[in-house]
Amino acid sequence: MVENPKFKIIGFFCNWCSYAGADLAGNLRLTYPADLRIARIPCTGRMDPLFALKALLEGADGVMVSG
Amino acid sequence: MARVGVFICHCGANIAGKVDVEAVSEAAINIPGVVYSSHQKYSCSEAGQKVIIDAIKENRLDRVVIGSCSPKMHENTFRKTVQQAGLNSYMLEIANLREHVSWVTADKDEATKKAMDLVKAAVGKVSFAKPLTPGQVPVEKRALVIGGGIAGIQAALDIADMGYEVVMVEREPSIGGRMAQLDKTFPTLDCSACILSPRMVDVAQHPNIRLLTYSEVENVNGYVGNFNVIIRKKARFVDERICTGCLECMGKCPLKKKIPNEFENGRAPRGAIYVPFAQAVPKVPVIDKEYCRYLLSPDPDKVEVKEGEKKPKRKCGVCAKVCTQGAVDFNQQDELISEKFGAIVLATGFNLFDHSKYGEYGAGKIPDVITALDFERIVNSSGPTEGKIVRPSNGEKPKRVVFIQCVGSRDEAKGVPYCSRICCMYTAKQAILVREKLPDAEIYVFYMDIRAAGKGYEEFVLRAQREYGANYVRGRVSRIYESNGHMVLKAADTLVGMPVEMDDVDLVVLATGSIAREDSVELANTIGITTDNHGFISEVHPKLRPVEVPREGVFACGACLSPRDIPDAVATAGAVAAKVGVLFSNDILMSDPMVAEIDPLKCAACGACVSVCPYSAITMEEFRGKKFAKVNEAMCQGCGTCSAACRPGAAQLKGQTDEQILRSIEAVLQW
Repeated sequence: MVENPKFKIIGFFCNWCSYAGADLAGNLRLTYPADLRIARIPCTGRMDPLFALKALLEGADGVMVSG
Repeated sequence: MARVGVFICHCGANIAGKVDVEAVSEAAINIPGVVYSSHQKYSCSEAGQKVIIDAIKENRLDRVVIGSCSPKMHENTFRKTVQQAGLNSYMLEIANLREHVSWVTADKDEATKKAMDLVKAAVGKVSFAKPLTPGQVPVEKRALVIGGGIAGIQAALDIADMGYEVVMVEREPSIGGRMAQLDKTFPTLDCSACILSPRMVDVAQHPNIRLLTYSEVENVNGYVGNFNVIIRKKARFVDERICTGCLECMGKCPLKKKIPNEFENGRAPRGAIYVPFAQAVPKVPVIDKEYCRYLLSPDPDKVEVKEGEKKPKRKCGVCAKVCTQGAVDFNQQDELISEKFGAIVLATGFNLFDHSKYGEYGAGKIPDVITALDFERIVNSSGPTEGKIVRPSNGEKPKRVVFIQCVGSRDEAKGVPYCSRICCMYTAKQAILVREKLPDAEIYVFYMDIRAAGKGYEEFVLRAQREYGANYVRGRVSRIYESNGHMVLKAADTLVGMPVEMDDVDLVVLATGSIAREDSVELANTIGITTDNHGFISEVHPKLRPVEVPREGVFACGACLSPRDIPDAVATAGAVAAKVGVLFSNDILMSDPMVAEIDPLKCAACGACVSVCPYSAITMEEFRGKKFAKVNEAMCQGCGTCSAACRPGAAQLKGQTDEQILRSIEAVLQW
């Protein structure tokens, strides 16, 4: 294992809960690793399995769906 | 080919302090489709917006990416900006560089890299954006006010005075709420009923207000301007249209002194047929089906009668016999009323902390330890003792009265962590009332801190101490127990650092804190809004949008938002009325164009979208023998579940199409 490995994790976050939660984390100045790239989706219902596959095929290290 | 412009905002040092905005801006020009890139101190400022507008015009940009704060903050601002430059307002994408990058990332290089990725994703997504036009929906200019306390009353009167129809729903048999239970109000010592009753009557008589008491909201559907609400009007067993309010029935009920009256906090009895208090509006009694002998006795028509036996008769029914109008109707059923509203106002009020959790204060079992609300009823001339302050245990006048503040409030172990805001003031008021009625009594107030922030409040507390001789002792009471017909109280005086023991205490009044109504979460779920962790209704923004809740068209005022006093409840009620007025000043509202659409040519009519749609917004249609699914745009809430479920890709959520999302993924990982 490399020390402090850098990942690219694609997040699909529901606009109403998790995305707002990520905003709140910012408002509270909570720091977390920079590996996560959050995409705002209108609802986790919008989460097409294709999106996760696409992200992995394009080289993402992980996919995080939250809602 | 798209012509995208990228604008990176410094947000002062908020973003620029962590993200190398110049580097991001320079790198952005190399992203496919980007023809212009710049960075500014504050994009949302007038100067910043002008830069954006000018750049769009000069560079013939057709799409815009702004790297700034969260879209939840300024997306609408920037939509208007790009619109001013002649673009469709949906040709815009925000990269969240503040809440999701600079504020949460420790390392500058990593923050800059992440910011670049988010800008790439935004460019990718906006490249496939299409112009969208909002739909138009009419506004039903009628308001529903839930709760008939002082906040609901004020909101209803103000909205009705603007000329709009209002329906007020109150769960109890009468409006009036908590304020009706109070004796005097601080800091002016106005009689509570004297200032409230005229307002209650105004509600009943207002031509624009329809009052539904003894009713509850059962279901809420729809959206801003067009809510469909189902209200359950509970059976009152007295016909409101006929009853004259003579109350002859109440005097004849055999249970008239048997049931604790909730309005009197259980300190005085009522009958099974009752109005909760003399000034009740409407002055129409209710029959309590939990107690009424007639309603509890078996229905003769439903009882099987053997041959030769007489049909059993219903018990009692005295109220029906004495009513000269024939208003008592034992056959009344709950009624479900369906109404359409453009706006909903929540004014459901608060509850009081249950002090039985405080074993050290007798856990509610010592009769002479009462709550402040009990005291309000006892000191009130229409209350159980006709205004005489007496000890509940023996009816004698107390000689030594002790008030204990912060019971439940500011107590993380047993109660709630917050300050209830009203207790310091009502305790001072009650101390003054004791002195007025019992000139010789000793009065002690045990407090943690005095919080008297309000007009004339601090002066009022000082008056209680100086003019009315209330002895304020700073410290917590640790124990109360009965001894020789009195009570012994142990406490600490934290100003002198000494323990205090007080015997011969006759009456203890607990300043119990304000808590949310126990069913507030259930109500919030019915309406589709949220509460905080204490059960109080959450507002959109505590400072800038304090009376709006996250569901558009729904507003809240009074103590259902957080503990507050009457002036604040009335002020927020007025604010809500103004907000409803603003909403109703529109004949037509623009609906969010980010709704689903289904391409009938691609649709295989499999019906998957119909079954997954949580809003029942999709139906199957047929045209010239070909079946296809169709979205009702007014009902669609833009969740995109249909889009995820659609195998042929016929269902697409506008503004969030498969193309847009897939391209943004590609942009982050490949570009």
